[in-house]
Amino acid sequence: MTEKEQQNIFNHWLNQHKALIFKVLRAYAATGQDRDDLFQEIIIQVWRSVPSFQYKSSVTTWIYRIALNTAIKWTRKERRYYKEEALYNIQHIVSESHLPVDERLTWLYEEINKLNEIDRSVALLLLDNFSYKEIASILGITESHVGVKINRIKKHLIAKSKTYDYHGV
Amino acid sequence: MEFDEMKKIWDSQNNVYLFSIDERALHNRVLSKQRQAYHVTHVSELLSIVAFAGSGSIILLVNSFKSTGSIAMYLMSVWMLITAACVLISRVRRIKGNRQYDASLHGSLAYGISLTTYQVRLSGLLRWNMLPIGVLILLGFWEGGKSIWAAAGLVVFLALAHVAARWEHNLYKARKRELEALKDKLDHEDSARDHQ
Repeated sequence: MTEKEQQNIFNHWLNQHKALIFKVLRAYAATGQDRDDLFQEIIIQVWRSVPSFQYKSSVTTWIYRIALNTAIKWTRKERRYYKEEALYNIQHIVSESHLPVDERLTWLYEEINKLNEIDRSVALLLLDNFSYKEIASILGITESHVGVKINRIKKHLIAKSKTYDYHGV
Repeated sequence: MEFDEMKKIWDSQNNVYLFSIDERALHNRVLSKQRQAYHVTHVSELLSIVAFAGSGSIILLVNSFKSTGSIAMYLMSVWMLITAACVLISRVRRIKGNRQYDASLHGSLAYGISLTTYQVRLSGLLRWNMLPIGVLILLGFWEGGKSIWAAAGLVVFLALAHVAARWEHNLYKARKRELEALKDKLDHEDSARDHQ
């Protein structure tokens, strides 16, 4: 694969699946600096992965796999931008949009953030309609294990939603 | 709230981007990486020039004053001086080439990539330069009748230095890939905006 071909595929992937990466960022990175760091990690990994993509899975599944694996590794390594940097470097590459967001979505992300790193991935994939088989394949765990986790996550989120006060309801 | 309702809430974000990418911040990040790359290149060039020119001259002088001058040592001093001259010429060329890049984000990235490509080439050259130098030192040892253990120690030292140089080389390669990924991301942003 030539560099130009790699670049074209990468551009297309990023254009089509930007929202997916943003979801992973929001679920795994709490602060602006963390989001920048994780975003850079993910796009570098996606770029590197282009030549090894063999069309055995969908591009969405492939990118989700890379983004989640990168996010999980990143969380475990706790690679954060804690070192002192010049002011120009503190500006965020990825910033939250000022569009009105459903308050319930914010709550949902907050709850997902409280899960452990693997359960966060399962929750994201589940909410994005991935099958048990696909989730198992993406995360490298058995389907039965995925089933157990999904059951637990669903129960947990439903229980939490009962205590969630949305506009006093 | 039932899980199906949560899914509906989740799906609502598919049409709205919760984040945006700030090109100016990206530009600054690129500039920072560029400064970092420039500093490292500047220092490694100067160190190489001083080390090769200095050692080459010292070996040449010492060998000239000795009554039993070694041919291998003469060759090595000449080789080191040539290496120092090569690094100096490529440094001058690099500095001249810097002027062709504009101050835009694209220009900064292209400059950063060119600088890192240069570092990759320089570190590769210096890494493989150890081989002829090692051979010439061993020849000098042989001429001077040094023990086999001294030669073995030198081989081990050069092997370790080669490993360290490979690590440094890979570090530059990784940095280059990182910059290329950023540039591609930017190209993508531009093409996406053109389509809007």
